[in-house]
This record gives sequence, C-alpha cells and structure tokens, in this order.
Amino acid sequence: MKKVGLAAIQIAILMGFSELMNRLAVWTHFPLPGSILGILVLFLLLQFRIVKLEWIELGATWLLAELLLFFIPAAVGVMNYIPLLEQDGIRIFAVVILSTLIVMTSSGLLAGVLSKRKESRLS
Amino acid sequence: MINQAVTYLTATLVIYYAAKWVYRKYPRVYLSPLLITPAILVVVLLTTHASYSSYNEGGIWLSKLLQPATVAFAVPLYKNLQTLKKHAGEIFASVLFGSIMAMLSSALLARMMHLNGELASSLVPRSVTTPIAMNVSQMIGGVPTITAVFVIMTGLLGAMMGPSVVKVLRIDGDIARGILFGTSAHGTGTSKAFELNALTGTVSSISMILAALFTLLGAPMLLGLLG
Repeated sequence: MKKVGLAAIQIAILMGFSELMNRLAVWTHFPLPGSILGILVLFLLLQFRIVKLEWIELGATWLLAELLLFFIPAAVGVMNYIPLLEQDGIRIFAVVILSTLIVMTSSGLLAGVLSKRKESRLS
Repeated sequence: MINQAVTYLTATLVIYYAAKWVYRKYPRVYLSPLLITPAILVVVLLTTHASYSSYNEGGIWLSKLLQPATVAFAVPLYKNLQTLKKHAGEIFASVLFGSIMAMLSSALLARMMHLNGELASSLVPRSVTTPIAMNVSQMIGGVPTITAVFVIMTGLLGAMMGPSVVKVLRIDGDIARGILFGTSAHGTGTSKAFELNALTGTVSSISMILAALFTLLGAPMLLGLLG
C-alpha cells in the first residue's frame, strides 16, 4: 500500500513536470513537442544527479508498464471517421499494413546485419 | 456530467484489464487488448448513440497520462546509456533508412491504390508520434486530424504485427528488435517492445524519437523529390 502511494506521488510529479515542459516548448518555440523536450531535460537532470533515480523510478516504471492503456481513448476516436473508413478503408488498411511491413523489414534487417557485423569484428 | 465521465473511465479500465487477462490466457493477435478494448467501446457507444466527445470526458484522463509516460522514457534511457552508446551507429543508420522507407512506401502505395492526394499526404508521416505527424501533415498538404487516425492505425497494427514479423525475419537481437518497433510503430510499438524486455523498449523509444526527427526534417525534402 505504501508503494502504491509512493508511485502515485511520483506520477503526479511527472505529470507536473511534463506540463511544465509543454509550456517551455511553446514559450521557447522548441521545434519538437513538449514531451520530447521533457525526455531530454529529465535525462539531463538524471545524468547530472540533480534528480535522483529513486524520486521517480517507481512512478516511471508503472507508467511505462501501462503505456498501452493510455492509447485506448485515442483509438476509440477512430469512430468519428467511420464514413471515411467505409469509403476508402480497405485501401487505407492495405497501405498501412504493407508500408508498416516494409518499414519493419528494412529497419529490422539492416539493424540485424549491422549488429552481426559488429559482433564478428569484436570477436 | 461528472457521473458519465467516471462511468466511461471505469468501463475503459474494466474492459482493458479483462482483455489483458484474456490475452494472457490466449495470446492471439486478434485478441490484443489494444484492439479488443477500443472495438468493444466503439460498439457500445454506437449502439447507445453516445458521441465520442461524451466518452472522451472520461477517456481524456487516460490520454493525459500519455505525456508523463512519454517523459518517463528518460528513466530507461538513463539506465541503459552505456549499451545505447555502444550501438549508436547502427541505431542511427537503421532508423534513418526505415524512416525514409516509411515515407516513400506510404506515398507510393497510396498512389498505386488511387487514393487522392490529400489522403496520400496525410498517410506519409503516419509512422511517427502523433504531434510530430500532425505537424508534418500540415506542412506537406495533408489533413492533420486524419493523419492522427492513421498514426493510431499504424500503432495498433504495428504492435500487433511486430512479434510475428520478428519471428519470420528471425531478428533475435534486442537492439534490432527495438529499432524495428520504434521506427515502424512509434509509442504504441514501443510499449509492445517494453513487454519483451527493458533494453528492447529503451532502444525502441530512442528509435521513436529519432524517427520523429528524421520525418520532421526529411518529409518536405522527400516529397519535393517525388513531385
């Protein structure tokens, strides 16, 4: 129970921090979204030991473990586009599936080849 | 309407955890909680004639956690820095190649399927995280909200297809697997990658960030080439 409370406090801290980073990104005209600025800033804070890992680790671990849940409401939003999908849905699905397969194959195979080559050079 | 918001939020949580429990017992692609949960919710909303905006009064509380969850990627990044440094070269090269292929294949396939130009442009940035994808879509003549739909479709399909693709292609290293998930299916793919192990998830989150950068910088150039 104590762990749950601690995780909740840490999540609240991370929420406040990400909101702050959103404002900072807008204010500085940072070219990437606030959440990505947030990753960079939090990483640097950890790296320079300004923020200690224990302060956020429990909350961060929980958020990352339940990440899929946070995408559900956005996925439900697809219901607003049912007319579009009725009209072009099959062709759109085909493009998304085929193109995703192409991306997976090209990035995955290249990465596989490059890391194998590295291993053989090291050994 | 607080009551309604709480009801929708609770329904989402109950369906999600039930779907997760079923998926643990019967791990089939079509039983993925990421597919089943929204599907059930959409059917319920349509049959009760409820609008998405009324659902989202509750749902938005979950969407709000997406931001701090993304920021939380800094933690595995920090913990795995040494490994990442060692593999920086192959991560950079593979994500760059994958991102170019994502944009090219989306544009060309859309053209082959005779989808109109607006839809084609909206499809181009679909493999990166929503805010960047919407931004790129705007830049190249797409419709940002439609791009957001394609981004979600890509994430769902990518997270579902990924484990089988990894098996068929015999990609067995954590680094290569992470690159594959993060480059092809952004945050949704990354959460699937974290289910495999922490290193795969970390590499995936780095790949997702790099892919977003490459797409933001590369999309206008590539489309210029395609004409």
